[in-house]
Amino acid sequence: MRDIFFDLSVRSVKLNFLRSLLASIGIVIGVVAISSMGMLGTNMQLQVKDQLSQGANTLVITSDAVRIGLQGSTPSASSSSSGITKTQLLKIKQSAGTDNKVIPLYRTSTEFTLRSVDGRSSIYGIAPGDVTSFLTIDNGTNIQWVNDALVGSSIASNFNLKIGDRIRIGKANGTESRPMVHIVGILKARGMTSDNVNTDNAIIVSRDWYTDHYGGVDQYSQVNVIVKNIDTLSEVKTAIDSKINTDPKTPVIRIQDASSRLSSITSTLGTMTTFILAIGGISLLVAATSIFNVMMMSVNERIQEIGILLSIGTERGEVRRMFLYEALILGILGGCVGGVCSLVIGYSVVSAMIGTTAYFFLPESIVYIPGGMLIGMVVCVISGLYPAWRASNMDPIDALRSE
Amino acid sequence: MALSETEKTVRDAGMNETPLIRLADVSKVYHLESGDFTALDHITLDIREGEFVALVGPSGSGKSTLMNQLGILDVPTTGELYMAGKNVAGMTILERTHMRRDMIGYVFQKFYLIPLLSAYENVEYPLILKHKKRDTTGKAEAVLNSVGIDKEMSLHRPSQLSGGEQQRVAIARALVNDPKILLCDEPTGNLDRKTGFQIMEILVGLHSEGKTVILVTHDPKIAEYAKRTITLEDGRIVAS
Repeated sequence: MRDIFFDLSVRSVKLNFLRSLLASIGIVIGVVAISSMGMLGTNMQLQVKDQLSQGANTLVITSDAVRIGLQGSTPSASSSSSGITKTQLLKIKQSAGTDNKVIPLYRTSTEFTLRSVDGRSSIYGIAPGDVTSFLTIDNGTNIQWVNDALVGSSIASNFNLKIGDRIRIGKANGTESRPMVHIVGILKARGMTSDNVNTDNAIIVSRDWYTDHYGGVDQYSQVNVIVKNIDTLSEVKTAIDSKINTDPKTPVIRIQDASSRLSSITSTLGTMTTFILAIGGISLLVAATSIFNVMMMSVNERIQEIGILLSIGTERGEVRRMFLYEALILGILGGCVGGVCSLVIGYSVVSAMIGTTAYFFLPESIVYIPGGMLIGMVVCVISGLYPAWRASNMDPIDALRSE
Repeated sequence: MALSETEKTVRDAGMNETPLIRLADVSKVYHLESGDFTALDHITLDIREGEFVALVGPSGSGKSTLMNQLGILDVPTTGELYMAGKNVAGMTILERTHMRRDMIGYVFQKFYLIPLLSAYENVEYPLILKHKKRDTTGKAEAVLNSVGIDKEMSLHRPSQLSGGEQQRVAIARALVNDPKILLCDEPTGNLDRKTGFQIMEILVGLHSEGKTVILVTHDPKIAEYAKRTITLEDGRIVAS
């Protein structure tokens, strides 16, 4: 059997249905904002995590010194770098052991021209034998000759590249002749990966071609160590670190594994999610003001009724409860409608912004809907606290006299 | 069934022949911007169980202020008010609330029914306050019948009832917890003469059943129903 005070609250909401509905719309918007933004951020995190975990068994080694030059250079322009040296590479190979694959690679960014259309991409210099260790050729063959090149899936689709096409590498300046590479294969899309090799918008050439045109022989941009047994990842990392970074105060190389990159990226995305949640929270704050206003109106309109209730023996706590129920009803109304809307809007937003809804119904994503509903209800009850307190503390004589 | 603290106090007061209500040198002073206003000026008064008292006097004589004191909606500025032998000044807000709920029934000039509840629910409401559950004993319905409100009419909201019907419902609400005291503030003030007399007949009947009835009125004809008349002027009792 229902509480009489709950009944009174329900009837009061029904009596002022339009006003209550309008106040609840604020909560609906707040719940939708919080839930959708939260789900968007979480889906983004889940997708990135998924992609990064593809290279979870890889150690990425870069020089700890500041790199100089190379950026936007034209082939043959002189450049210098302080990448991983030949000696360091040798030590890495020794520390990594024979079971694990060590892949040194060069990298810079470049401009290129294809059929009179200019573009910009990364360019990697990788030994052909290493390419298939971590990249998949979707179409065509691996690099065989020095002028052969592979291209990433994005660059291939954006420029409508086909096997056999030729690309001029470097910035067109009208005077200098630019080298040309011959496309022999198109790589499978990788998305965001944890091995710091983002080939989707890149051109892959042989190490010899790269050093012929960019210089920097034996100054590798990075060295990836693919560890056969993932359980030994930390062990291999320590071994390399102690072998090369002999002085901990002045490390010469930086070793990153998937977990540190993953935690760094997810932490950034987490901060971003919190930020967008806070923006959603502002709409709830506005809704709270609206609920507060409606509750104050309800109290002011019912002063005489409050006087009657108090004079015939209603406890102050019971009057307080009655108004808190009313705020809760508005919260439940707004929260439930907001929850349903969040499901629809959240799904559409995630689909449109991320391009996949594969993670939408996972618990860590969908939890934002009940979470948002709960927050909406709590906000309503908090907004009703002062009006309820005011109602319960009225003087019954003054309240009865009120017209 | 165990008696509540208030009920025990009332029963004991009856046994000891202690006045049900005792005002000892009670004054009520309102501190206004224009200066202090004394609404009740050293009132000393005993009302015994089963009395039918009419409080009369011109406007501003202090009738309503005295009713608020008797209904323990307010406390004296000075002096002491005893209800069933218990000093009201020493009671907490919650104890006073419970005493109002269990011991006093109110009938107001403007009926003051709860507009969101039906007539039946208005009468059931004090029972719910007391027992913390809905009435399953049929008491609310029985009390409504006793004042001439049938089942069909009891389903109506107050706004759907006539003034006389509303006042009958208000009397039923006041009676449902079987209070010792019935405080009636101008109960016929908003009714036509005929209906007013019908309401007074109900109050006379209740008095004959043993209820203590205290009535505020400015109508001498209505005051004639009481067995004792207390006349107030400028916050003082001038005749009792």
